[in-house]
Amino acid sequence: MVGLVLVSHSAGLAEGLREMVAQVAGDDVPVATAGGTDDGRLGTSAPRIAQAIRATLAAGADDVLVLVDLGSAVLSLELALDELEPADRSHVRVSDAPLVEGAVVAAVQASVGAGIDEVADAALGARAMVKAAG
Amino acid sequence: MAEVRLSVLDPAGLHARPAAQFVRTASRFQSDIVLGIGDKAANAKSLVGILGLTIRPGAQVSLTADGPDADAALSALLDELGAAVERVDGTNP
Repeated sequence: MVGLVLVSHSAGLAEGLREMVAQVAGDDVPVATAGGTDDGRLGTSAPRIAQAIRATLAAGADDVLVLVDLGSAVLSLELALDELEPADRSHVRVSDAPLVEGAVVAAVQASVGAGIDEVADAALGARAMVKAAG
Repeated sequence: MAEVRLSVLDPAGLHARPAAQFVRTASRFQSDIVLGIGDKAANAKSLVGILGLTIRPGAQVSLTADGPDADAALSALLDELGAAVERVDGTNP
């Protein structure tokens, strides 16, 4: 099964999204969060992201899709990916999907046993979702 | 090919959580399953597609399945939707 890692500058945002994803897609999909800095401030932390990826793989995910809130999170994410063992790194895919929509649709797709390509495509498809006129 | 026409009764329309459950149920079947509303249609196995339809209360929708397990798929999806919809027309199943 594909697991998700939710990266946000805010620990509260990441945790809230994890709760929402579990409600919508069920508890079977491994989801870990990396929100905020090590000392509890807004920001992102490479060690926390690496830890979340390892935790998701350890929870039984065959592959991991990482979603981020803002582009600056990608700097920490790249450091985190460099820190991973190559065996783990090869099972990680980074998504450019919007965080909330992407996480929800990716988790639903993962929950029906879809592979990483299908889950990543579903998340990216969320970019085209229209929520409201305007 | 099996098709049913439905009226959406749920006052909230089709929200993320029931939509996700609908997609999960549809994904269990081999048949191609399409949810249509007006001139729009979406793959019932895609949450992006279903949420993109913006199904509001009172909407008339069609649910079509084409494949070896089409009848079973529609039957399971109607069970899944339960009291949220009412059949307004149907040939089979």
